[in-house]
Amino acid sequence: MRVDDEELQVRLAGGGMVAGPDDASDGYLKALTHLLVSVADSELFGMPNLFNAVQDAPSASAYLGGMAILQDEVAHALVAYRLLADLGVDTHHLLYERPAAECRHAYSFDIPQHRWAEFAVNSAFLDRAGFHLLGDAYHHTSYAPWRRALAKVHREETFHIRMGERWMRLLGEEDEGRAQVQRAVDWMFLMGLEFFGQPDTLKRNVGQLRYRLRSKSNDELRQDWLDDTAALCHRLGYAVPTHRDDETGRFVVDCPFPADFDEENKRWKLEEGPVGWDSVLARWRRRGPLIDWCLAEIRAGHHEVFGSENGGSARD
Amino acid sequence: MDALREIDDPEVPVGIVDLGLIRNVRVEGGLVTVEIAFTSLGCPCRELLMESVRERLLPLPGVEEVRVEEVFHRWSAADISSTGLRVLRAHGIT
Repeated sequence: MRVDDEELQVRLAGGGMVAGPDDASDGYLKALTHLLVSVADSELFGMPNLFNAVQDAPSASAYLGGMAILQDEVAHALVAYRLLADLGVDTHHLLYERPAAECRHAYSFDIPQHRWAEFAVNSAFLDRAGFHLLGDAYHHTSYAPWRRALAKVHREETFHIRMGERWMRLLGEEDEGRAQVQRAVDWMFLMGLEFFGQPDTLKRNVGQLRYRLRSKSNDELRQDWLDDTAALCHRLGYAVPTHRDDETGRFVVDCPFPADFDEENKRWKLEEGPVGWDSVLARWRRRGPLIDWCLAEIRAGHHEVFGSENGGSARD
Repeated sequence: MDALREIDDPEVPVGIVDLGLIRNVRVEGGLVTVEIAFTSLGCPCRELLMESVRERLLPLPGVEEVRVEEVFHRWSAADISSTGLRVLRAHGIT
């Protein structure tokens, strides 16, 4: 045990920071590792899928912008995996050996994206979800190395969101483009709502808040994202199942949530009504249709040079 | 130029004037022409920034039209103002 957990919590309650792994308790490191793995995975494992969507870019300039975003995301993943390595986590195993079922990236990245419209909505919606989560960490996390590293990440996610919003607007100037964006909005909006995880009433792992790794709960982050995203869609004229509550001034979801997802047709089975979060977690654990291909793409270069875990490796 | 100072680069925490991207501004009656250079040929923010310049200047009194022209002047860190350098250093960017 590095640092006494009770003493650490007193320090954190007084606004203190954690300078590194030797300045933390075992409980703190466990919560931090859990959070960073999902962050790192989400930055990286969707990249092959998004690369496909960028190939549909309508201009060379748009293509450059899309590729710049992918390059940024890989760099963000590097930041998170490097922090994990500094905590003593076996990042080689995470990257190249871990089975698909243990990957912790957002489920939405396992659903195929083929169109530039989907890339635009992904940037505007799901990069925005990351922005809220990581923005909260950037401003409030107690883990100093992560806060320093997030200065770059936070800024770049702003660019990704702006690019996504811009293209939602530009595509919407023509009927076919608007229809494509609306189809993407239809399946990605609830993906964004799901991104923040179980509601606070069901959440058992509260270490991230107790250790001040972040300051806002799942529901608080989800509401912030919803307010932003619904306002964007209303401004651009895209339909989302929401309305603004007169009393609170905040947006409310008007469709069943959570819901079951038809992966083949990329649509939510709203007609079947809401499902329980246990059903959502089961879907996430199964992962989506692209997971095996995404992992193979990410691991291809490494396996080519070093061999696969089955075929031997230069590390052996 | 004061209006242009309010426009931040999307990726680094410095305005485009302090970053040295704005190379010339000409005002001829209601027409404002802004010459802008980018940090690289492949800058992914080109169109976003050109749009931001237009959106910022068009509402100004007397402005009827805004033209944003990309000029292919070589850009380097030497083009960043002392204020810009200070801000970048404060954010860990050297």
